[in-house]
Amino acid sequence: MFPSILQSQKQVPRERSTERHSEPVRIGVFVCHCGHNIAGYLDVPALVESARTLPHVVFAHDSLFTCSDAGLAEIRTAIAEHNLNRVVVASCTPRTHEPLFQTACQEGGLNRYLFEFVNIRDQCSWVHMNEGERATQKARDLIRMGVAKAALLEPLEEVELAVQPAAAVIGGGMSGMTAALNLARRGFAVTLLEREPELGGILRHLNTLYPTGAKASELVDRQIAKVRDDPRIEVLISAEVREVRGSIGNYELVVHSKQFGMDLPVQAGVIIIATGAEELKPVGTYGYGSDPRVITQQELEGLLSENSSPLPSANRSAVPAGADAPSPHPTVVMIQCVGARDETHSYCGRTCCLTAMKNAMLLKERNPETEVHVLYRDIEVHGTHFEDYYAKARELGVIFSRYTPEEPPQVVADRVIVYDELLGMRLGIPYDLLVLSTPMVPRPGARQLAQMFKVPVDEYGFFLEAHVKLRPLDFATDGIYLCGSAHWPAHLDEAISQAYGAAARAATILSKEQIRASGVVAHVDEYLCRGCERCADVCEFGAIEFIELERKASPFNLPIQPANRKVAQVNPVMCKGCGACAVVCPTCAMQAAHFSSEQVTAMIQAALGG
Amino acid sequence: MDNFQPKIIAFACNWCSYAGADLAGVSRIQYPPTTRVIRVMCSGRVSPMFILEALRGGADGVLVTGCHLGDCHYISGNEKAVHNVEMARSLLGLLGIESQRLRLEWISAAEGARFADIVREFTEQVRELGANPLVAEQKHTVREGATLS
Amino acid sequence: MNYQPIIQRTRAYLCLDCGKCTGSCPLARVDLDYSPRRIVERVIFGEAEAVMADPHLWSCMTCGLCSARCPSNVDFSRFIVEMRAEAFRAGERGIYAHNGILQEVMRIQTMNVHQDRTGWLEDDMQVSEDGEYFYFAGCLPFFEVIFADLEVKALDIARSAVRLLNRAGIAPIVSNAERCCGADLMLAGDVDSFRRLAELNVETIKASGAKKVVFTCAECYNAFKTDYRGYVGQLPFELMHLTELLSEKLGAGKLELEARPGLVTYHDPCRMCRYLKVMDPPRTVLASVPGLELVEMEDNRERAMCCGSTAWVNCSGCSKLIQKEKLHQARETGARVMLTTCPKCQIHLTCASRDLDAEQAVDVVDLTSWVGQALA
Repeated sequence: MFPSILQSQKQVPRERSTERHSEPVRIGVFVCHCGHNIAGYLDVPALVESARTLPHVVFAHDSLFTCSDAGLAEIRTAIAEHNLNRVVVASCTPRTHEPLFQTACQEGGLNRYLFEFVNIRDQCSWVHMNEGERATQKARDLIRMGVAKAALLEPLEEVELAVQPAAAVIGGGMSGMTAALNLARRGFAVTLLEREPELGGILRHLNTLYPTGAKASELVDRQIAKVRDDPRIEVLISAEVREVRGSIGNYELVVHSKQFGMDLPVQAGVIIIATGAEELKPVGTYGYGSDPRVITQQELEGLLSENSSPLPSANRSAVPAGADAPSPHPTVVMIQCVGARDETHSYCGRTCCLTAMKNAMLLKERNPETEVHVLYRDIEVHGTHFEDYYAKARELGVIFSRYTPEEPPQVVADRVIVYDELLGMRLGIPYDLLVLSTPMVPRPGARQLAQMFKVPVDEYGFFLEAHVKLRPLDFATDGIYLCGSAHWPAHLDEAISQAYGAAARAATILSKEQIRASGVVAHVDEYLCRGCERCADVCEFGAIEFIELERKASPFNLPIQPANRKVAQVNPVMCKGCGACAVVCPTCAMQAAHFSSEQVTAMIQAALGG
Repeated sequence: MDNFQPKIIAFACNWCSYAGADLAGVSRIQYPPTTRVIRVMCSGRVSPMFILEALRGGADGVLVTGCHLGDCHYISGNEKAVHNVEMARSLLGLLGIESQRLRLEWISAAEGARFADIVREFTEQVRELGANPLVAEQKHTVREGATLS
Repeated sequence: MNYQPIIQRTRAYLCLDCGKCTGSCPLARVDLDYSPRRIVERVIFGEAEAVMADPHLWSCMTCGLCSARCPSNVDFSRFIVEMRAEAFRAGERGIYAHNGILQEVMRIQTMNVHQDRTGWLEDDMQVSEDGEYFYFAGCLPFFEVIFADLEVKALDIARSAVRLLNRAGIAPIVSNAERCCGADLMLAGDVDSFRRLAELNVETIKASGAKKVVFTCAECYNAFKTDYRGYVGQLPFELMHLTELLSEKLGAGKLELEARPGLVTYHDPCRMCRYLKVMDPPRTVLASVPGLELVEMEDNRERAMCCGSTAWVNCSGCSKLIQKEKLHQARETGARVMLTTCPKCQIHLTCASRDLDAEQAVDVVDLTSWVGQALA
């Protein structure tokens, strides 16, 4: 339409409405009887007659079952004999039969998008069985609408892209490694990226695992060995993603490797995000950060795994007057929900109750004399194993006291003061070690990573899946998947299951040699585009990017300000064709192919009497 | 009023409400032939202009349908539909066109009966409102029928 | 089709091919394929059909800068508008911005509507059923809805207008039967709709008994003053911009404005400076606001640069380049606020300013709103 006045990096083919095409529009209309299903309730011959009178219709015919071999052959023959360049079939529903007729058109030499379906069965004959002429009139209107749209249809391209049969897994913890191994086993090359100098993730900081008591180091070392042994997995440690380009099937990452001191390119067809989470360090709360006796659960695990006595020597000299008599036994107090379920992080940390129980039981097993108090708000031990685990902790003598958020525990001198609801009294528990159970929080850099990949995060910074029930491991952006605590604080078995799931999702793409984008995508007119970005603001799929167009030089070399201009560019592979961008575009630069404003308006006008 | 058959332009999204309408068909649920459905990929595609164009063209009612909130195939397209329909409604209010002529409904692919019920109900509602006033007195020339209020 | 009448009426035959029009044209400066003189030549040389099929036909902003400079006084804007009317009749259309919602709203007003568009009135405002003055608010209630995201606060213009009129001792008539002035439809070739809107508006105002019509929109004012008589004959009432009325009252000592200190610049809408030659009254009003300092842009008054978009048609990346240039001129004055007397100029420039960073952005505000907000 507009001559491309600005030198674009890629020529976007732009076709005007068909009146301006090199050839006049010639539409063929095929009205289906569908046996008795349509013909029994609508006057099909009358529909054919009225179709013949419509603008641009050069051929109209009815058939008993248009979807039969004979019916499809009729379409192909008519295209050839009558030189049709648009086809309308009035029969059942596009939701089942559109691909079939589109293929017939394609076989007849037409682009498959030059086909329009009119629903006169599921939404007409079947639901207006006793309406007689009124039902036929509705079908007449619907056919007129379909023909009006068909006259404005454009041939559309289905972009085909070769898929790079390789995956990039970001995060070398248990879920990342599990996903990598699973994909490698399926025969795909995997690049596993880990920011730290070692693989292993959070498990490197853990002692034993609930509910089995297995040693974390054994599990993770075994997994690391498998990963290192697998020739299809390339491991990059001390590596961070700096840049991402491309889309599903063809991602290109720029990874900075501290190990080699340079940037490395990584090609992948799919990405799996498995960056995990980390323990919240509640500096300033309960003396954490200043008092060496106050530690987090993870720090306790560190002490427990070193096999040293985690308890500093008891210093009981100071006994507040009137307080409970100091216990002769070493005492550990654990406070649950520190920095969780409050204004800062309103969610439950999920893993902290079980972690506390695990460590409490270990302390009791090492020295049964130890008094272990767990101060909790609620106990989260869903399912069978975990209920038993809790019961065992109580059996071993761990003392559980409930507190309310209105009256949280306080540390005064060497005691933890807590109001026990059940007992109805205030307890003062002297402690040798105060362990704070804090939730997992997203790792620093998660938001930046999300921005780089154009995937969303929730209000806490955890990555947000495409659909909480239907697509829990996908992102709305194609070709990127999610597993482990990067998504939500996860138990180890969940992290591993999700890793298998994400690998399976990724494999559905990697196992294809090519992926085809639908032709029903948005197109940008670069002349009309103002670069305002309203389109990208509403695109859920990250399908719109902005490029700089250079202006043609003035023939007289006049300084023309500003020099360059940015315009939108749609990635046809990422675009899902919803059309939301077309609605917000202030200049109609963005058009939704196959559902353009012109086409829909023509249908509205045709419906109302044309 | 008995032989006034309202003409309703209905927009239905490919993934939910259009499928719901198909299900009504498969289930042979009968409803009045007052709607003319325009299929779109997402209810969020329905711009305020389509709605006003339909009413300007003489439609007695406009029905915009899509997936239930939270279930949109395109994540938030139906939320955009809410915004677009609200804008159209505000404009109709200024123009003095009855707000009840425009309706937004969420219909899932499993709700064939609901689609039929809504068509039935909306048809009656529009029938009571009467024919689209914009075109009703179109026959008068300006000099004869100019209304000053 | 004989294009001679159009060529004659607009003096296009006098085109000397000097190129001053193209040299002045803000669009030609950013779109090197757009040339006003080439359009004229093509029609004269018998290529009118091709011109009518060319999308560039709808890109001209009718800002009038070309005609102001043309040594032969060719009325290029009128030429374009008349060609557009022909093209429209032949089924051609410009590209309607915002998905065509503005055109829908305008066209619906040619039909049997019973509007409810005076809801913006507030209890403290005095309006009357009859009287000498009719306040023509134009499409402000629709802009308020359609451009809510731009926060231009279109209805503040109407509210300020009534308050200022009240201050000046006037209780204007405000009517629900008002229609869009139709200028944007005429400029986009739809002259039949324009005629109908003109007829309806004139009927409404005549029936009200008002003898003076006050506008806050340069486009509406120009439509009535310049174009209506060609369609509905001589108008039986006087027309004025609010700033003209206010500057008269200020001069006669019948009005005082509240202080509103600040540094501002003023954008002359094309209709005000080149079409209607109303340039002093807005400045007089601003000069009467205590504490307000007005600094002029490099191109002001008759030379003022167009706001870049017209008739909600063919808005494009080029429009934005023009708008950025304009906003740049505004920033160069040192002011961060640009006042104007056309709500559409305000909308277009605000839209473009939205995409600039804080360093380059300018607050574009309607003059009536700005002054009206200073009322106690």
